[in-house]
Amino acid sequence: MHGRAAPIAESACAPLKAVMGLFTLPTTIPWLSLIWLSTVVPAALIALIPRRHAEAMRWTGAGFALISLVLSLLVWLAYDPGRGGFQFIERLDWIPQLGISYLLGVDGISLPMLVLNGVVIFTGALMSWNIEERVKEYWVLLLLLTTGVYGVFVALDLFLFFVFYELAVLPMYLLIGVWGSTRKEYGAMKLTLFLMAGSALAIIGMLGLYFGSGLRTFDMIVLSRSVTLAGDLQRIFFLPMFAGFAVLAGMFPFHTWSPTGHVAAPTAVSMLHAGVLMKLGAYGCIRAAMWLMPVGANLWLPVIAVLTLFNVVYGATIAMAQRDAKFIIGYSSVSHMGLVLMGLAAATQLAMTGAVLQMFAHGIMTALFFAVVGRMIYERTHTRQLPELGGLRKVMPFAAWMFILGGLSSMGMPGLAGFWAEFTIFLGVWERYPLIAVIAAVSIPVTGAYILRAVWATFDGEVKNPEFFKLPRLTWQEYSGAIILAVILVVVGLYPAILTELINTGVQPVVAQLTGVVVAGR
Amino acid sequence: MFQITDIPRLLPEILLLVLALLVLGSDIFEKWGRTPEAQLERVRSSASLTAIGLGLVFVIALLQSAYLPGTRAPEGPIGNPALDWLLTILRNLQSGGPGGAPVTGAFATDHLTMIARLTFIGAAFITSLLCLDYRPSAHPAEFYALILFSTLGMCLMAGATEFIMAYLAVELTSIPLYILAGYFRNDARSSEAGMKYFLFGAMSSGILLYGMSLTYGYAASALAGNVTANDLTQFARIAELASDAGSGAALLTLGMVFVIAGVGYKVAAVPFHGWAPDVYQGAPTPITAFISTASKAAGFILLLRLLTTAFPSLSGGASLADLGGWTSLAAFLALLTVIVGNLAALPQTNAKRLLAWSSVAHAGFILLALVAWAAPQPFDRDQGTAALLYYLVVYTLTNLGAFGALAAITLIVGGDEIADLNGLARRNLGLATLFTLCILSLAGIPPLAGFFAKFYVFMAAWQGGARWLVVVAVITTLISLYYYLRLLKAMFIAAPPSEAPLPAPPAILAAVAVAVAPLIIVGLFPNLILGVISRVQTVAGL
Repeated sequence: MHGRAAPIAESACAPLKAVMGLFTLPTTIPWLSLIWLSTVVPAALIALIPRRHAEAMRWTGAGFALISLVLSLLVWLAYDPGRGGFQFIERLDWIPQLGISYLLGVDGISLPMLVLNGVVIFTGALMSWNIEERVKEYWVLLLLLTTGVYGVFVALDLFLFFVFYELAVLPMYLLIGVWGSTRKEYGAMKLTLFLMAGSALAIIGMLGLYFGSGLRTFDMIVLSRSVTLAGDLQRIFFLPMFAGFAVLAGMFPFHTWSPTGHVAAPTAVSMLHAGVLMKLGAYGCIRAAMWLMPVGANLWLPVIAVLTLFNVVYGATIAMAQRDAKFIIGYSSVSHMGLVLMGLAAATQLAMTGAVLQMFAHGIMTALFFAVVGRMIYERTHTRQLPELGGLRKVMPFAAWMFILGGLSSMGMPGLAGFWAEFTIFLGVWERYPLIAVIAAVSIPVTGAYILRAVWATFDGEVKNPEFFKLPRLTWQEYSGAIILAVILVVVGLYPAILTELINTGVQPVVAQLTGVVVAGR
Repeated sequence: MFQITDIPRLLPEILLLVLALLVLGSDIFEKWGRTPEAQLERVRSSASLTAIGLGLVFVIALLQSAYLPGTRAPEGPIGNPALDWLLTILRNLQSGGPGGAPVTGAFATDHLTMIARLTFIGAAFITSLLCLDYRPSAHPAEFYALILFSTLGMCLMAGATEFIMAYLAVELTSIPLYILAGYFRNDARSSEAGMKYFLFGAMSSGILLYGMSLTYGYAASALAGNVTANDLTQFARIAELASDAGSGAALLTLGMVFVIAGVGYKVAAVPFHGWAPDVYQGAPTPITAFISTASKAAGFILLLRLLTTAFPSLSGGASLADLGGWTSLAAFLALLTVIVGNLAALPQTNAKRLLAWSSVAHAGFILLALVAWAAPQPFDRDQGTAALLYYLVVYTLTNLGAFGALAAITLIVGGDEIADLNGLARRNLGLATLFTLCILSLAGIPPLAGFFAKFYVFMAAWQGGARWLVVVAVITTLISLYYYLRLLKAMFIAAPPSEAPLPAPPAILAAVAVAVAPLIIVGLFPNLILGVISRVQTVAGL
């Protein structure tokens, strides 16, 4: 029963195929390399711009972020879902004697993530316009961080994957430590150490896979095609590999870094972090752990499913009790990422499609949340405490509407992206673990409650503080960034097939791998 | 037999000796004024002579090894007389290149020696640049000559294939370093460093010598009655005799353990590390950079050659199931070193001492590479050798850069506490960035070279069967990240005492940049040096 294709949106695919794979990009150009290069190059450029030209740095950063987004979109539109599999493959020898190569490629799972990263970095760049302190360092680090994320989503060599992964983690330390707020040094250190602990676990998994398989290669396509790692070793090494990346995805009980980190980070970094980086963890779980070690996955996934239950329910409950608006979003991220991981743990076609869709939907939604709370509200009022806010709808109606839109998506309101994602995940989990699905459903009313509470306390009622009337108006960057995010939420919500069909093709090989080993009895 | 054709093979060593004497002698011709300007003048001239000389020797050694693509001299004349003349010189030079039997059975000029030479001479070059603007010392020429003598000793250590040669080389390396560590004799810490280093060194020399004599005793008794044998101190001969060790195996093992203990002090592996933190902290910072890199690397290269050529039959295993032999000894030392080094670095408040403990910890990571010798396949053993050398080269550059940057910071801020680093990024972003790159490379963050180095030694040890050790080492890497991040935090996050810019002396900055640039380049393209390093694999057993 797990092998069948997802039923949703099957019929809606016909017009979609006309959109995707519509044109072909010339194969002589290394498109995927261009994507990650398009954020390294401006980092170097900005380092060369003299300090007094802050505005030039902002334009350079945002401009190249837009270029990277456009490149991602081009690749997405040129990807042929009918053919499926990995496309736009680039392969160069890197350290051939150890089987390490520069191998890039994208499939139906990585493409939505690429686009997500492009959208979030571009809107994040727009939300970073007000950074006045050490502008140069900020943009250089922000772009390096983005490079790491892009790299992870296109890398198909495990070693390369890991290099990009660590590149994505470290700039975070300085970004939070220097430009952050609330307990920033603590939050930065905690976050970095947790994530590096995750990567330490992943290293052990990698070495086990590399030597255990006897193939002496880090090429993930080869490793997945002939899963030669003995079942016993898979059962051992799946755990560190999965757990290593799950730390970044915020899996219970390794989630505590995430709310602290989100709260401490500056707005754009929160957006990238909750919006993309946590997805990077989930992506690593799929790509490096589940895909490469299916036998180990089949053993451990039920345990993980139970753990994610804590994420979903406990995360939502904790969010209920927070007073700081950013903490609410932080814990809601833990809860929503729990849904992603739960979908992965169920490992059916339906659940995994939902999980990847949720990664996309939650990325956009949470970026919108952080943009509203971090940039629009906190940068003006200098508080995020719910009791001190109130009545902001009268002062900044736009921010209120954006927050409500994100909130509705978070609650799973039909017509917004979040609904399709959560709905599909619940359907998929029901197929495999009905009891877990039922318990997890508790989170739905709780989510509604904490979102409504936040909306009510922040925006509703009379303006609490007369100072709020003097707040500066929203800038065009804030308007345009938020509108982009909101439009995507609505478009995906109204027409999910734009993504689901693509994700289906990406998820299929992973699910086939997992069910294959069950059938083969390994 | 020593032949005249052996001279080009020893050319770099000969040149180092000549340069050292030249530096020592040239000082007589300087003006010996008492004013600070005159003193600075003396320092400058000695330093620049040393730096230029070392640069030349480096280039000659590089040409001789023909490692740079396109530098191998083509066969036959090409017509142009002037060019032919140069080509003949190059050809003669390269005739002393890698290969051939050890000179008089005592000094090998294989790829291992070549790479080691380049590392040491390069390190000495960077060190001499670091000293250029450092505190002028009383007798600058002696200072630089001692660095050169020590470098000579290191080169000999790397090539030694015989016990007496190895011992003399160790002494030639160490004695100048004892003096250099205590060079600021008005500074109590520096004097303490010199004294402590000397006492520990003397003790360890004794242990090393004892181990050698035990091994010699074994070899002599194995050949009972054959008095004509005069090659019993050669590594290869010992390996030959040890391969069928019967009753004397215990004696041989004991000798080996003492030898490891003796060299273990040079590399500052726990438990022979007691001197390291105090000496590193007390010595003049450029000298600390030199001791913690070149001297340690020389120790490791001697250890590698010694263990793999003299005691290959005692290599044993390192997985928990079959412990025994020197690979498990190395694994055990590595375990202690990574744990003690990294944990001891955690509470330090002095940046120099913190880096000193981090250097101790890195010795542990390097030891991991030796464990690969427990693997049955020659391919995996070769990976261990390559990993060791790669780590050494990268670590040498990184630590030179780190201590160099710290030397610059100490000069301009006036202290080497972590608190002195506060807000450096606002006052001198260039220096802070260079220092950060070194620290991140030490911490093993990609894409800097330190990441692949660490990953490679982990792979080597894993394949040697010591998975338990790799797991511990990975955890301690994580611990190390905490104290490295503390340095970053001070530089970037903490508030500076004042916003005034702090210009750093250009020579030191240049030296640090010379060390840091390869970290990025080699980090992105490890094969640039890995290709050369992997040539060692086939000859290490020479």
